[in-house]
Amino acid sequence: MKNYWFLMILCLSIPLSAQEDKKEKKDYGRIYGGVESNSQYYLDDEGLNFIKPEEPFRSNNYLFFNYSYKNFTAGFQIESYEPNALLNYNPLFNGTDLGTYFLDYKNEKLQVTVGHFYEQFGSGILLRAWEDRALGINSAMRGGRVKYSPNDNINFTALYGRQRSGFHVTNGDIYGLDTDIFLGEWLNLYEKNQDLSIGLSYVGRYEDVNFENPNFNELTNAYSFRFDYINNSFYLNGEATYKEEDGILDSQGRLSNDFVEPGHAFQLNFGYSSMNYGIDVTLRRVQNMSFLSEREPTTYIDFQGDLTSSLDFLDGIMNFVPALTKQHHSQLSNIYVYQAFNGVSFVDPEIMRAGETGGQIDFFYSIPSGTALGGKYGTNISVNLASWYNLPGSYTFSPPNYDVDFFGIGNKFFSDYSIEITKKINDDWHVGAIYIDQYSDLRFLDGRDPVNADILVADATYNFTSTKSIRLEVEKMWATADRKDWIGSTLEFNPNENFSVYVWDIYNYGSDKPEEQVHYLNVGGSFRKGRYRVALNYGRQRGGLVCVGGVCRFVPESSGFTLNFNTSF
Amino acid sequence: MRVLVITLFLLTQISFAQESLPNINIKDLKNKTVNIKTDFAEEDKIYVFSFWATWCVPCIRELEAIKLHYSVWSKELNMELIAISTDDSRTQKRVRPLVNGKNWPYRILLDENQELKRALAIVNIPYTVIVKNGEIKHVVNGYSQGAEMELYHKLQEL
Repeated sequence: MKNYWFLMILCLSIPLSAQEDKKEKKDYGRIYGGVESNSQYYLDDEGLNFIKPEEPFRSNNYLFFNYSYKNFTAGFQIESYEPNALLNYNPLFNGTDLGTYFLDYKNEKLQVTVGHFYEQFGSGILLRAWEDRALGINSAMRGGRVKYSPNDNINFTALYGRQRSGFHVTNGDIYGLDTDIFLGEWLNLYEKNQDLSIGLSYVGRYEDVNFENPNFNELTNAYSFRFDYINNSFYLNGEATYKEEDGILDSQGRLSNDFVEPGHAFQLNFGYSSMNYGIDVTLRRVQNMSFLSEREPTTYIDFQGDLTSSLDFLDGIMNFVPALTKQHHSQLSNIYVYQAFNGVSFVDPEIMRAGETGGQIDFFYSIPSGTALGGKYGTNISVNLASWYNLPGSYTFSPPNYDVDFFGIGNKFFSDYSIEITKKINDDWHVGAIYIDQYSDLRFLDGRDPVNADILVADATYNFTSTKSIRLEVEKMWATADRKDWIGSTLEFNPNENFSVYVWDIYNYGSDKPEEQVHYLNVGGSFRKGRYRVALNYGRQRGGLVCVGGVCRFVPESSGFTLNFNTSF
Repeated sequence: MRVLVITLFLLTQISFAQESLPNINIKDLKNKTVNIKTDFAEEDKIYVFSFWATWCVPCIRELEAIKLHYSVWSKELNMELIAISTDDSRTQKRVRPLVNGKNWPYRILLDENQELKRALAIVNIPYTVIVKNGEIKHVVNGYSQGAEMELYHKLQEL
């Protein structure tokens, strides 16, 4: 490992000389990248029944370094999980090692990358290689990629690689082809203030199968077609995806040779927007669209001795099927969050699913300033209605089978209906309120009873001066089941543009179980200046789903100090 | 860990600025490819790249606050603000109606798989990068109420 650090320090010394030589106006290339460090010191917490791990200090650190000279860029990311990764991260993130590295050549028409790269085809429903450090995801592909644009109207991408998992790669070989074609110029659409583009993708995943006579091919092919049409203030776009027959996992998480079916997904989005208002509708139906770079997940024993699977850490997932619901920002509105059900899962005769269907509607409106409701600065209103259901049809548990209809809806998995109003009253006061009605059938998540929740959040910010402000948010949740009612509040003080301190607490006073009637109190602050940001937090982590961008991961409860640092160079 | 501390120390000591934007292509609201380095190269014009997302409350506050001054600032300072959405496909469909619903005067770009965000090592948004004559002049990490005036003073100095 020492070699990597040596390499890193060596590289860091380059800019010193590069900087000095700059005076001569010679092109020595340039260096860019960043550093991020997230550390936690865990503490025993009787109230949460949390016992700190043997090594209570844990830390995740990333150094991302790139050097670019003329048309070439080379870069790497060193990751250091010392002495261990933060709790609940993939155990394959262990020690200090080279996480990703690449060499890239790019000119106006051609880009060639070897090493690790990130990529997304269309909405990502066939392929998305991405990184999210907060979720512990890095599904960069290691291999090669060529992007070619012969003119402004066509882009091609061809790639081959294996998906990153911890500091290694998984066993599946992934092949991909993608193209975007812009038809606006050819069809003379620009004159009419219209635009049309289409896209085609292919993704193939090859993996050896360990049993004889599989009912599916070792190479699984998948295809998608997408389009986007704009006509003045109206737009319409869609994507259709098909995936060949592939083995799926049985209720024990083992690859099964039964129950082999093709998968598909359809998404349609349209909307109209104009001065001061916008409306947007998205409909999506997904069936059997789990797409893994290794068909059978790996199982591990975690630090508490429990059996976990690589899928629990979102490892080995090639595609991206986000939950299409509003991403709320208050604490209590993120207790019942939806995670899209894109695959087939038969847990017991009550809980059988083959995908999901549903949609969401968004509406945005700015009441213009100078009107009775708009006041001096206008008022913003947004409404979101999202509902997701099981695919309608018949399901049998033994032998496992499903026969689903294309149209219609099955049992409701989740709904979230909300209205949010924000308003600047004058230079001193900003206020906002949101009401949310949620339903979540937790049986499909982890076996808990379905819950109905109503949440009300109000917040106000007062500016003492142009850089000194205070913000108070209060929230309340009424829930019919699970842990029932909660109350919460956040107080945030910004003494100047560099500092921010906060205290927040959520209290599950309504739980039927006395041991669940606990406070989750957190205090912390952050300092930022230019490229630097440091944040410190002390408090309790509520167990449950942690979600970023519609992808969620379960985390158990914990308690302790957290220190975050990041900068770029 | 010790080495890491040393490294971080070294980094802070170096304190050199990233000279120019990375040579990266991202898309605009009409799916057209835009090159961050070459398409924002008008001489002496100030480009303010503001990274935001539809779910980021302080980002939207900042862009709303700047909107009130935008017509004056853009003329007075010869500046243009480019609002780069880092929304992924979960929330990206919300960008078009939100931008219009809020009547934002900015040019909008979509960094859907966060390629640009990653290249600039952006961890938290809002994050603002100010560029003039191809050089990064200033970076603002975060936004607090009123910080748009700090931005204005920085722009005036350029």
